[in-house]
Order: sequence, then C-alpha cells, then structure tokens
Amino acid sequence: MSTRSTLRQNLSCQHGRRSILRSLVGWSLSVAWFQRAESARARDEEFRVIVHPRNPLSSASREFIADVFLKKASRWEDGEVIRPADLRPNSNVRRSFSESVLRRSVAAVRNYWQQRIFSGRDVPPPELESEEAVVQYVLTHSGAVGYVSAAARLGAAKAIVLK
Amino acid sequence: MRAACAALALFVSGTAAAEEASDVDPTAIQVHGFVSQGFIKSNHNNYLAASERGSLEFTEVGLNFTKQLSDNLRVGLQLFTHDLGPLGNYSPQFDWFYLNYRFADWFGIRAGRTKIPFGLYNESNDVDSSRVPILLPQSLYPVDHRDYLLAQTGGEAYGHLRLSEAGALDYRAYGGTIFLTPTPPAAGVTLTRFEVPYVVGGRILWQTPVPGLVAGGSYQALRLDAAYSFDPAVSSLFQMLGYLPAGLQGALPVKFRVKLWVLSLEYTYKDLQFAAEYGRWIGDFESRAPLIFPPHTVNERYYAMASYRVANWFTPVAYYSVYYPNVEKRDGPQSHQRDFAVSLRYDLNANWLLKLEGHVMNGTAALDSSLNDGKDVKNLTRNWGVFLAKLTAYF
Repeated sequence: MSTRSTLRQNLSCQHGRRSILRSLVGWSLSVAWFQRAESARARDEEFRVIVHPRNPLSSASREFIADVFLKKASRWEDGEVIRPADLRPNSNVRRSFSESVLRRSVAAVRNYWQQRIFSGRDVPPPELESEEAVVQYVLTHSGAVGYVSAAARLGAAKAIVLK
Repeated sequence: MRAACAALALFVSGTAAAEEASDVDPTAIQVHGFVSQGFIKSNHNNYLAASERGSLEFTEVGLNFTKQLSDNLRVGLQLFTHDLGPLGNYSPQFDWFYLNYRFADWFGIRAGRTKIPFGLYNESNDVDSSRVPILLPQSLYPVDHRDYLLAQTGGEAYGHLRLSEAGALDYRAYGGTIFLTPTPPAAGVTLTRFEVPYVVGGRILWQTPVPGLVAGGSYQALRLDAAYSFDPAVSSLFQMLGYLPAGLQGALPVKFRVKLWVLSLEYTYKDLQFAAEYGRWIGDFESRAPLIFPPHTVNERYYAMASYRVANWFTPVAYYSVYYPNVEKRDGPQSHQRDFAVSLRYDLNANWLLKLEGHVMNGTAALDSSLNDGKDVKNLTRNWGVFLAKLTAYF
C-alpha cells in the first residue's frame, strides 16, 4: 500500500514538473514567436560600407568585408592595418549588415566573439553609439572601415561598393 | 569564495559600461570576465557532483586581460577558478596566457598556455556565454576531462586562407605539454610520477562554398608517463590475483600513448544551426600489468545537435550524444552512455543569461564510481535523468 502510495506521489510529482516545463517552453515559444513576427516586420535598413578617404579601395568583395569584421583579415591590400568599427547590437543597420555581409545574426556574431574573447583568440571591434560616431571613427583612423545607413551624412568618408 | 563570485557578478554590471567607453582605443587593455553558478540534480546516480540530492558545486569564474602591444603583437591572460563536484575546488589557475604575433592573415604564432583546438567547440567548454547548452555533448566534450583537454603549454601556429570560389580554410597546429595535478587513483595506490612528455595536434576547418556549411577534422597525440606504487597489502593481493607481476618491487611504470581524432560538420542557416561530430580515441598502455592497463583500447564518440534562435533572448537546443568506452565491448550498461538532452537558453540582457536543461540517460559508462560510494559502474542504475540550471553573468 505504501509502495503504491509513494509511486502515485512520484508520478504526480513528475507530472507536476512536466506541466511546469511544458508551460515554460510554451510561454517562451509564444512570446518569442510574437516578437519574431514583429521583428520581421521591421524594414531592412539599406547600408553603405565606408572607409578613410585616403584608402585607395573603391570596391571589396562581401567575403573580404566579412573576414574584416570577424577579424580574420587584418590588412588592406596596401599593407595598412584594418580597423573595423561596429554599431551597437540593437541597431537596425547592424542587423542588416550582419545578416547580409556576415551571413549571421547579431546574436550569433556576439556568441562568436564570446568564444574568441574567453579562449584568448581575439577581441571584437569597438561598438559605437551612433552613425555619426562611426563616420568620425573612420575619418580619424587611417585604416578604419565601418558601415552606416544609406541616408547617413558621410562627410569626407568614402563609401565603397560591395561586390 | 561564493562571496567573491557574487562580487564579480555585481562588478560585471558596473564594468560593462566602463569597458564599452574605453574600447574605441585599440591599444587599451581589454578586460572581460564571467561568473556562473549552476545547480545539478539527478533522479538516480551521482553525476559530476553529489547530484542525487542536488548540488550547487558547479561554479566557474574567469577574468581576462588582453593588450595589443603593436599592430602584430598581442599579449593576454585569463585567471580561472571553478568547482565541479570533487574537481576544481576553487583553486585559482591561469586558464591561458600567451604572446601572439601575426605575421600575416595566413600565418601567426602564439607561445604560452593556449586552448586546444579540438572539434568544433572544445575551446567553448568553459565559456558558457558562447554556447547554447549548459553541458556540451559529453561524449566529445567531457567536462570532467577539462584539465586534460582544454589547454596546453607550448607553441601554436595558426592561419586563415581564403580560397576564392572554394571557400576558406582555418588551420591551427600546436605542440607542447600539459601540466596538471592528477586526482589520486584509488585507496592503497599512489601516483609517484605523472608527466606529459608531449602533446601535438592540429585542426583544420573548411568554410565550404555552400553558405553556412563548415567541415573539419582534428587530431591530437599525447603521451603520459606515470608510475604507481601500491601499499604492501594491496600489492600482495593484486599479485595473488594476477593483476600485478609477481615479485614487483617499488613502483610500476606505465606509458600511455593516446591518439584522438574527430570529424566535424556544422551548418548554419539563418537562426538554425546543426552540428554533428564523430570521433575515436585510441589508447595504448605499455606496462607490466595488462589486466589493469589494457594494452589497446579504442573508444567511440559521436553526437548530433540542433538549435534554433527563436528570438534574441530565447534559444532552445536538443542533442543526442553517444559514447562507447571500448568499441570491442558494447554490451551492458557500463559499456555505453546515450544522452538525449534538451536545453533552453534565456538571454536576460546583454550581460546575464539563464539556462535550463534536462537529460535522459541510458547507460553508466560516463559515471564515476568514486562519486557513487565506490560501486562498480555496471551496478548503477541503467536509465536515469539529470536536470541542470545555470545563471551566468559576463562582460
């Protein structure tokens, strides 16, 4: 009798735990899918890749720019050290840039950098607050490269074509 | 120690802002850190810790400093301490330290203590923030083998080569030794000598022309030299049973050569990621006690894992992982470990994350008898489950 009672209690307890787990997963999925749908409605931002005005490059391949922002490529063709700068992770321009050039979501890129940081491989490019800050960074660092929205004022910074 | 961890967690929130402000200067010292506190509970068998009654002995703390000394030269180190059941016990250590010189994108060198590139995720084994599950598939990334597999002291060459239309290659090769303090083998047995004369290996990852598809292979070879001495009573008993050679005087020298290889495949399409790996570890013992140290053992390890980032703050993952300690003997619960796991990762904000994870286990090969009252693993419960929770702060 007591064994049966214990078994019933165990089953009831396991059932309770499973219900909590199912509710948690269900709630997470519903809220996340809702946010995902909202995020999908957000319009992709057009962006331009910009470099220092003295940089002789007028175009670059998508793969090369991806290598630059993942710090797998470190020098321009003329030997100048490349200094990439990112926008903040919540920027729509960064989201567009990340998905179309790096072919990864911003969250995936953050995970990539976490792995690099804590395994001692490298540190990520600086994340700047605004497009104005990116333009300023590009103008004040000779090997710099960044990206801004198509509507941003570039000043003397040079936009290059992505092939 | 727990107070120190809590202080670091508070430090995380405060430092994130300061660190962001200074990171525009490429020559500034970069500081990053993490602190994790986990909980582990199993319904049968103690796994990694005293998990049957529930254990909080699952803590990791790391703090690293990196400085770019010139365009090509970088220096860095990471302090690390952890506690996982009987392992770690908050003993502080240098997780890695190095001097890195990059001659070109296709060739750079590092000297110091560097993490071992093995498979897709070995370097992430103690970086909770860079992976989805709490425990990576334990067949290939056993967390209790951390001291053996995570880092080596010596040198490493690395590079990245773009192959035009054929994709790109990432390659690394290393050689050196591993310094570690082994745990005592058993009552009445003492380890009088333990050293790793060499460890060499490498990994190559090919970013194929198919967007998001990465294929790779890793290889490692190492030798362990050990000497065991036995208490007189144990020695007499083992000699009588034929485990030790008759008339053994002094310590028993043992040479252990290990070769490990793994093949890897990873595919990422938007927020979906799939990974599968297959490996074998081949061990050859050279000793006068072949019943204790079998001359040749091959074990097999593989898994398949899929994750999907539903939203920036929520990523579920599931995997199935299998481990056979001896490919010649696949019968009995002690001869395999099959693990089906589901994990949920919640990114609470840019510096905090919470993970919940459940495992359904079949087999006892990955269990440690010393955590289970010295019972032989073949006598432990065959079907069992584990629940884990982990909170991590990082910057």
